[in-house]
Amino acid sequence: MSNCKSSICSHLIKDHFGDLTQTVCDVLLQKCDCHLRQLTSEAKIPLDRVKHVLTVLIQNNLVTFQKNKRGQTEYTLDHDAILWRNRIPHYIFCGKNLYGDAAELLIEDIAHNGQITMSTVVENVTDKLNEALENAGHPKIGASVVYEKFKALANTHFIKQCVNPLETLCPEDIDECAVAKLYTVPPFQPGNRKRKLASDEEAQPVNKKIKTEAGASAADDHIYWTINNNRFHRYFTDQLLIKAIRSKIDERAGQILQTILRLNEVMTEDLALTSNPVSFIEIFQALPKDLQLSKQICEQYLTVMADDSTGFVNKIGDSGGGMYTINMMKAMTTICTAHVESVIQERFGSKSLRIFRVLILKKHLEQKQIEELVMIPAKEAKELLYNMFAQNFITITEISKTADHAPARSFYLFRVNLEQVARMLLEHSMKALMNTIVKREMETRENRRLMEKEERAEAIIANLERSGGDAEQKEEILQSITPAEKTQLKRVKHMINMLDQCELQLDETIFVLETYLQYCETKLKTKR
Amino acid sequence: MSVEVKQEPALDTDQETRILLLCHENPEGINDALIQEHMPQFDVQQRVTAINRLLSTGRIDLLKSSSGKLIYKLKDSSAADPVKGGDQQEKVVYQIIKDAGNKGIWIRDIRFKSNLLLTQVNKILKNLESKKLIKAVKSVAASKKKVYMLYNLEPDRTVTGGAWYSDQDFESEFVEVLNQQCYKFLVQKAELSKRTKEDPIAQRNGSFASSQDVWKFISELGISKVQLSVEDIETILDTLIYDGKCEQTIVAAAGDGGQTKLYRAVNSLINSTGLMRMPCGSCPVIQNCHVGGAVSPTTCVYFKDWLQLQ
Repeated sequence: MSNCKSSICSHLIKDHFGDLTQTVCDVLLQKCDCHLRQLTSEAKIPLDRVKHVLTVLIQNNLVTFQKNKRGQTEYTLDHDAILWRNRIPHYIFCGKNLYGDAAELLIEDIAHNGQITMSTVVENVTDKLNEALENAGHPKIGASVVYEKFKALANTHFIKQCVNPLETLCPEDIDECAVAKLYTVPPFQPGNRKRKLASDEEAQPVNKKIKTEAGASAADDHIYWTINNNRFHRYFTDQLLIKAIRSKIDERAGQILQTILRLNEVMTEDLALTSNPVSFIEIFQALPKDLQLSKQICEQYLTVMADDSTGFVNKIGDSGGGMYTINMMKAMTTICTAHVESVIQERFGSKSLRIFRVLILKKHLEQKQIEELVMIPAKEAKELLYNMFAQNFITITEISKTADHAPARSFYLFRVNLEQVARMLLEHSMKALMNTIVKREMETRENRRLMEKEERAEAIIANLERSGGDAEQKEEILQSITPAEKTQLKRVKHMINMLDQCELQLDETIFVLETYLQYCETKLKTKR
Repeated sequence: MSVEVKQEPALDTDQETRILLLCHENPEGINDALIQEHMPQFDVQQRVTAINRLLSTGRIDLLKSSSGKLIYKLKDSSAADPVKGGDQQEKVVYQIIKDAGNKGIWIRDIRFKSNLLLTQVNKILKNLESKKLIKAVKSVAASKKKVYMLYNLEPDRTVTGGAWYSDQDFESEFVEVLNQQCYKFLVQKAELSKRTKEDPIAQRNGSFASSQDVWKFISELGISKVQLSVEDIETILDTLIYDGKCEQTIVAAAGDGGQTKLYRAVNSLINSTGLMRMPCGSCPVIQNCHVGGAVSPTTCVYFKDWLQLQ
């Protein structure tokens, strides 16, 4: 848990929840697992306020609790979950792309509330949609439309039921049936909060947790839904692959890859090194009809993808017209390498990029060999090489010919250790993210007076419009903001927009690096 | 008092001719034992004198065989002694340089092989150079090092660096120009193939170009003063691979066996990464950057400049 990451968590909590929560979180960040009394004394905040803060954080899936050895309840902050809050706009955008406006509002609502029951969220979203539709002059829609979207999201595992932490002993206790249960949506009856248990819930296999819940209430009030972050991350990973193939080969290849990934969506487990095999016939049947690809062309695209140097797709057999898998580990390595190369190119220049790529391709090289292969004047090549070495993008392995390790009689081989470079860049990106957040806060703080003035003016104008004021009064209010202030405001808005966008793009880099490191760890675990 | 006719002089020349004859018959060289076999009537002293005479007049060569024995070989009279008038040491040094062929030989190695003193070797080299028998060529590997070779020989590639070096300077602009031209050729081929062919496999195969094709194209362009070989073009294409602009496949060659290398232009996987779209990515002082420090995000000059850009 790096210093940088802790600071980012602290800042984000302050942004989203306020100063009080930030104080509590700072204590949790420093002390890791705390029990209530310790929290209260360290944070110097009264007990009931601390309880309130903790409730909010637990509701938002940011804090978990468990009993420690001495029987006290300890609270732990989930750092990753805090950083994932930054990605909520991305999740909402995904939902909109996949399932439309209703899904967008559903995800937004669920994300805001942390954990929420299905009926509540469906009704909220229906109301919101209808309001917007009314304003635009379209007819109202029923709650069943929204309910269908909710079901679609649950079926593809984008949202899941919350597991009751009081009743679950440990994660391994959840068996297959319970996992499937996590995504089953109870039927919806509009306007009826307390209902009897639906028949299909009774048909579910018995699980201690569910039985106690079913017995306790007769409504779906105790089934809370939350966003399934892992699923969204898998989706983002798939999007990365599709984008890469699209720029490497062409658009149609991207579509075919998307089909394969969609077929594998709910079947493959998280962070599997290769996806499950899919036969050609399945792929062809699952292709969207408007692509109009003939069987032959589809097969050819698959062959091209399988032969391509990026190695995303592997053909592993001929049954069913050809069995294809996606090699996730190789894919993530290639994409991570591409990002690292982009960093090298922007930071050091194209010639250094050439040297870096030579080392990646050839694994180990001596300095003289590098100079020969790379066709750059020897002096310049030496300087660039040592520059990159000084900044730890390249490492040296020393192989000595003699026992006394004399420098004149040893081989010095240069190489690139991608995992190490990825970790370094992750740290770097975190720092950049923190700088962006700090800068944005500073800009907001400095121009707060101005922005508040503008807000007040806009509020007055809105009031006037509603109460039917005349144009003269509006003019007056507008003129209270001088042109100089107007340009200043525009500049500030532009800056904050740029910094926001910067955060989103940084998040993309962070996501790629983090996913690659996760796959590396999985690979290491499976080796053992 | 008996008269002894001194038969030696006649015998000597006779012996020399006979030794020469033997050398003719055995072009690989003869050794002492062989001479003794054929001419048992001459004793050691006479043999030694004869051989010395032949050596000094430069008719035969004294060599050491692999087993360490001494062998006498007939010297090629066509390459007859350019070092006429030179003394023995010069001949030795000249021989060493000649043996080095077109790679040339370094002065220290000459010293080792001839077992002469450094000053002597230097004097001899100066002599030979003034007679225009040898020349010094600067090696491209170490610019202070000079290798000596025969005057009329062309220096080898490893010494001068081949087509990429002209007068010890690496011609980076030449390499750059070639790089760009090859890349343009490959890109054009790929685009043409994409436009004209329908199915993806044909598109991909059509965008491949063999190193022969590229070599022909570059030769026809005529941008190179020096004649380039296919291997030279392949090294240029390899640098394109290292730039990430093209990729290589090896297929079995048609007809003459062996393998051909095919190259095609590729697009990159991503445009640029998020980290490098902001100042912190390429900041030189990022290690010193802390909130409240001398270098901090709130006072960062790079941020200020970047945010001013509209």
